[in-house]
Amino acid sequence: MLTTVLLTAVYLSLLIHMGLIAVAVWRVWRGENVVDRLIGVDVVSTLFVAVLVLLALISRDSIYIDVALALAALGFISTLALAKYVADERMF
Amino acid sequence: MVSYVRAVLLLTLVYLALTSNLQASNIVVGVLLAVGVLALLRPQRRVTDWRAAGTAVVAVLRYIFVLAHDMVVSGMQVARIVLDPKLPIQPGIIAIPSGCQSELGTALSAHAITLAPGEMVVEIDDDGVMYTHVLDMAHAETAVAEAQELRVALLNKIFP
Amino acid sequence: METILQLLALTAVIAGTFFSVVGMLGFVRLPDVYTRLHATGKVGVFGVVLLLVAAAAWTPLGWGRAILLIILLMVAGPVTSHALASAAFRIGLHMKQPVRDDLRPDKAP
Repeated sequence: MLTTVLLTAVYLSLLIHMGLIAVAVWRVWRGENVVDRLIGVDVVSTLFVAVLVLLALISRDSIYIDVALALAALGFISTLALAKYVADERMF
Repeated sequence: MVSYVRAVLLLTLVYLALTSNLQASNIVVGVLLAVGVLALLRPQRRVTDWRAAGTAVVAVLRYIFVLAHDMVVSGMQVARIVLDPKLPIQPGIIAIPSGCQSELGTALSAHAITLAPGEMVVEIDDDGVMYTHVLDMAHAETAVAEAQELRVALLNKIFP
Repeated sequence: METILQLLALTAVIAGTFFSVVGMLGFVRLPDVYTRLHATGKVGVFGVVLLLVAAAAWTPLGWGRAILLIILLMVAGPVTSHALASAAFRIGLHMKQPVRDDLRPDKAP
């Protein structure tokens, strides 16, 4: 009984997160300025981490958490590099 | 030597938490990886005062508690502002002197400020003054200064 | 024990989804870059952390990896916010309707 409720909640949450990713991609496409679009990219990568965690909850398999760990680290570093590029107009 | 062993232990612990496998062969792999990682880094000297270790541990625990409390309060505050139809914000940037001598202390207190409710560090100048963006200026100034004093006191106990 | 873990996971999933929605709502509604960073940088990460608590309670993950990922997110979130805010200030994007501006005192109201 409780398992069904939990699974329903997780599926609903997955649906909501998909919608949020769509909104964030729209913000990247129609952003007001560069930094606004960069925030959108960062939010998309954060939401993908959330989706991977939800997939791990659905299949009860912890392999997705490893993917989420790698994606979180990569998204962090790429956002930092892009922010530095925007600020200084060079990468290193 | 002591700090080297401590760094190896810390990296091995992170590796073991990551693989969640406590067999002897895995521990050996972890220690080898930690030594390899440390060979790639520049060695850093830090004097350890073992008599102050007790107060430092208590200060670390209190610091983590303060950070967790700040995170929860800031989540609630941003949720309240966003869900309010009138959007009650009064944004502004105020200067907060960090009060820490070391660069590590300034960096850590900038991190703590960015976690704290409604505050975000925009720029740090050479004297360690943090220009902080505040979401709601109405009752920010005194509260921000008090919170910074508490954090500086704790950080000075952790890194004497 | 099983029931308690399931209830914990259910609560964490609901709260995490709520915070994700609030973060995106703030991202869309708030007026300028700095205030938007408040919404996404804090509340977005908050949502993921709560979902991770749910995953640690309900999947055979073990708390070690979950706590490692939570620590990574908590260190990375503020750093990302600060980097983006600093980039916005350096390329000359400024606040809309500031109450006070110590970085540019001449422009304050």
